[in-house]
Amino acid sequence: MSKDFLRISPAFEDIMPAEYRELVASGPYGKGYGISDLGSHKELLEEHPLCAGCGLALSLRLTLSVLPAPEDTVIVGSTGCSALAFPQVALHNIHSLFGNQNAVAAGLKRALKLRFPDKHKDVVVVAGDGATADIGLDMVMQSWFRGELITTIMLDNEAYANTGGQESGMSPKGAVLNMAPKGKKFQKINMPELAREAGCVYVAAVSPANPKRLGKAIRRAILVAREVGPTYVQIFAPCPTNFKFKPQETIKRIKEREKDGTYLTREYISQEAQEYLAAMEGGNKDE
Amino acid sequence: MYGAVKVDEEKCNGCKVCVFACPDPNVLTLLKTKKITVNQDRCKACGLCASVCPKEALTVN
Repeated sequence: MSKDFLRISPAFEDIMPAEYRELVASGPYGKGYGISDLGSHKELLEEHPLCAGCGLALSLRLTLSVLPAPEDTVIVGSTGCSALAFPQVALHNIHSLFGNQNAVAAGLKRALKLRFPDKHKDVVVVAGDGATADIGLDMVMQSWFRGELITTIMLDNEAYANTGGQESGMSPKGAVLNMAPKGKKFQKINMPELAREAGCVYVAAVSPANPKRLGKAIRRAILVAREVGPTYVQIFAPCPTNFKFKPQETIKRIKEREKDGTYLTREYISQEAQEYLAAMEGGNKDE
Repeated sequence: MYGAVKVDEEKCNGCKVCVFACPDPNVLTLLKTKKITVNQDRCKACGLCASVCPKEALTVN
């Protein structure tokens, strides 16, 4: 997408929606904003219908604010809570069939590579835990085996939240939900380890309780996926509606889970990715 | 929305911790005055910003 597309024709200036005009005047396109610039510019996400205190909405907002090149990014989403927010995102995005997100993204990345051979087009998959770890695990794993140059971001709210609260593979053992009254009987899937073994060159598990770290992980994941190989970031985003806690306790809950060791924040960088990042970050101290 | 967060401008020092904790975009903004301003029409009153504010400058009514 060229930045010129974002200009409004002078004849239409007075009838365009206020949000669009704000986006043109103070949007983040082409400015290279990072996470510390939040609050001083118009964000890519607009007013969304997700619940009050939603950890997923917070993660999505922070994710969108650290994209290295928002005008050259395509987001591929899948069914889930995050899909409710995608119509409000001012980026190219594709809503794929449930679980197909990585297959769609892989094809898209190849097509963009042919169409724009001299340009970096970032294809970022943003999907929930159901789409990534349960229904779409096949497509996700195969895209990693093939070494597709895409970034997979999982917003892990530990349940199928927008269909009433069924247990997912990422729910912790013993979790009791609306539609899982007996409690979950097996362990949470260890996705970061799976990703590492399946060929991802950069793997991180982060949470919005530490926004700087989250921003750094996502930026690194997208930069590495441009040249080196597939990358995976898992973001812990607890759901106050289905896990029945107060909306103001979302961040407190993340910190508790990190403290008692049931959610580990970690980062794995392969040798190749390390060298690539060292070359990239050496020249730019901001990242 | 029926509730919204309010800023005590005397206590706010513009550290922006609340901006990183708000799940809704464009609600909390930091203008040139170095104090947080709230877009009260869009605030969902979840209270996450108030729970992380180190100066206790934010209250949800």
